[in-house]
Amino acid sequence: MRTVLGWFQNRFGWPDIQQTLLDRKIPRPGKWAWAYTLGSATLAVFLLQIITGVLLGMNYSPSPDHAYESIRYIMTQVPMGAFIRGLHKWGASVMIVLIFLHLFRVYVMASYKAPRELTWIAGIFLLLGAFGLGFTGYLLPWDQKAYWATAVGANISSQAPFLGPAVATVLKGGAELGALTLTRFYAFHVLALPIFMVLFIGIHLFLVVYHGISAPPQARGEKAPDYKELKAKGKSFFPYSVFKDVVMVLLVFAVIFFLSAHFGADLEDPADPTDSSYNPRPEWYFLFLFQSLKLFPGSLEYLAAIVLPTLMLLFLIFIPFMDRGEKRHPFARPFWIGGGCVVAGFVVLLSYQGWKSPLVNPRIERNPLVLQGQRIYGELHCAHCHSIKGEGGNVGPDLSTAVAGRSDEWLDEHFRKPQQMIHGSAMPELNLLDEEIQALIAYLRDIGGGGISYAKAAKIFEENCQTCHRLRGRGGDMGPRLDGIGNFHNGDWLKQYIQNPQSMNKDSEMPGFESTLNPEDIETLARFLSSQKRENP
Amino acid sequence: MEIDRRDFLKYSIWGLGCFIGASLFAPAATYFLSPVWKESDLDWVFLGKADTIPVDKPTKVDFVQRRKDGWMTVEERRSAWVVTKNGKEFTIFDPHCTHLGCPYRWDSAKNGFLCPCHAAVFDMNGNVISGPPPRPLDRYAVKVENGKLWVLPTLKRA
Repeated sequence: MRTVLGWFQNRFGWPDIQQTLLDRKIPRPGKWAWAYTLGSATLAVFLLQIITGVLLGMNYSPSPDHAYESIRYIMTQVPMGAFIRGLHKWGASVMIVLIFLHLFRVYVMASYKAPRELTWIAGIFLLLGAFGLGFTGYLLPWDQKAYWATAVGANISSQAPFLGPAVATVLKGGAELGALTLTRFYAFHVLALPIFMVLFIGIHLFLVVYHGISAPPQARGEKAPDYKELKAKGKSFFPYSVFKDVVMVLLVFAVIFFLSAHFGADLEDPADPTDSSYNPRPEWYFLFLFQSLKLFPGSLEYLAAIVLPTLMLLFLIFIPFMDRGEKRHPFARPFWIGGGCVVAGFVVLLSYQGWKSPLVNPRIERNPLVLQGQRIYGELHCAHCHSIKGEGGNVGPDLSTAVAGRSDEWLDEHFRKPQQMIHGSAMPELNLLDEEIQALIAYLRDIGGGGISYAKAAKIFEENCQTCHRLRGRGGDMGPRLDGIGNFHNGDWLKQYIQNPQSMNKDSEMPGFESTLNPEDIETLARFLSSQKRENP
Repeated sequence: MEIDRRDFLKYSIWGLGCFIGASLFAPAATYFLSPVWKESDLDWVFLGKADTIPVDKPTKVDFVQRRKDGWMTVEERRSAWVVTKNGKEFTIFDPHCTHLGCPYRWDSAKNGFLCPCHAAVFDMNGNVISGPPPRPLDRYAVKVENGKLWVLPTLKRA
């Protein structure tokens, strides 16, 4: 066993690798030790994103027809699917946080100074890549948030002078946001950007090892000590630094696991380009850009959208060439630290304002079953024969009223064997799956075949019927008791009876309510009464 | 046994590393391997009226099956051979030869199911008369309700 391992180690040059990577000395980090773990924690979260991303890719379909449904499939049907998607979503946010903290550490310590300028610049490109992954990633579920946030993002780029509109078209893959945008973003999210990230992580890490990690800054006014000397006095990377890295990774993963298990990843309604009530809001790490647009009205908007971010980016890239010299302690660089704080403070403030701005969408929980039913209704072309609120064919009954008095069990049976429930019915047997029948019933209930306000119905009953009829122990005894009436009559029958009792039973002494109650109230009352059922009739 | 700080850290790294790996591996493996224990969600399909099937004459019945395919519902055209000897009890065969899955047909002259690929012959009960098939014809579950014939088109080995 040992000899086999030894053979592989020899052939791969392990002793050399061990010497350069693991045994390399790290200058003593002192009280800053934990700040040095931020980079490796970011790397670990990136690996987590790759693993969860590959898993999600196994069940995702990048087309507007399937994207939303495939994500819903992951969320509801695949074991651990919701958790894995939660890890991916929260992992993305945590990765951005870690990148910013890492950047902050390096900025405060001025670790970007010679000879580590390129390490810093590679890091800035990694930050850009992470933003790109975020932006392309949240379009993929093709829900409302995805659609509208991307629409806004694409429009921002179209405001850039000269090439703006062309850039937006290229980004969208066409004039409109649609199938081509989705495949384009998908290719960027799962192919181009991950390769870009891996490449730049490689460069970043190579430079870190080659130049050695920067030592903590010397005290103010002191001369910079010789780096080689510091390094020689330090401890080896493995296991001393690695131990702290692993503990940090454990903490970060614990946070991500908690967020995923506790909050999960939400999925809003499917993207609806015709919706005018939706307030698009970007992911939190784009909020400062979103908010800054409000500071520059009208024709100057491109300043906030394009010019300022570009300036900030250039500033970050060129810092190592502007802030030069040996001084590294933050208090020894008041100009750069002050400037950095102003910019960071501004970004934080704008993000906070964006977060707090009142344009929050009310979370309307729609029953996913209803959405599924609506989809099946369209797929099966039910509207050829049926109408809903006046829209559709008139071969079959209008479904916004017809199902009101029917029980779920009746509808279920009727979907399976229409002719058995209504003789001579022209409705075909559809061989529907159990789940599809449930969804269709939920949809029919949603469009008007249910969901009456019981409080309102009870009030109408109290004001108009209770004098003569007894229900649940209350009311007069002139007319029959109405407990369990739903077992004998459906809503349609009751509706007609309430309107004109004598048309159904000429001996009835009940007055007709056609002229006293408006049609809506009669409908409500009929449905209310048809739902008065007894367990054992 | 005495371990120094360096060794302690080494073991801790391995221990914590394995812990992190395992806590990620568990959900990932559940997700990845879940197709193995996913139950088939096929539904009973209505084939037709039972009295339309002639006695003692295997009949091929085509039907459309709606089934879940991941997040989609697809409709597939399928067929099955229905056999009855008394008009009350029915047997339904999967329409593929159990040798290599070729479609077979009923030959009334030879009174048997013939598979054209390797000249296999099955009798009306699905038993192998001659040829290479390793087992009798595969069957589907069947039920008759109110004179209606229903099939559950999942394979059930004979």
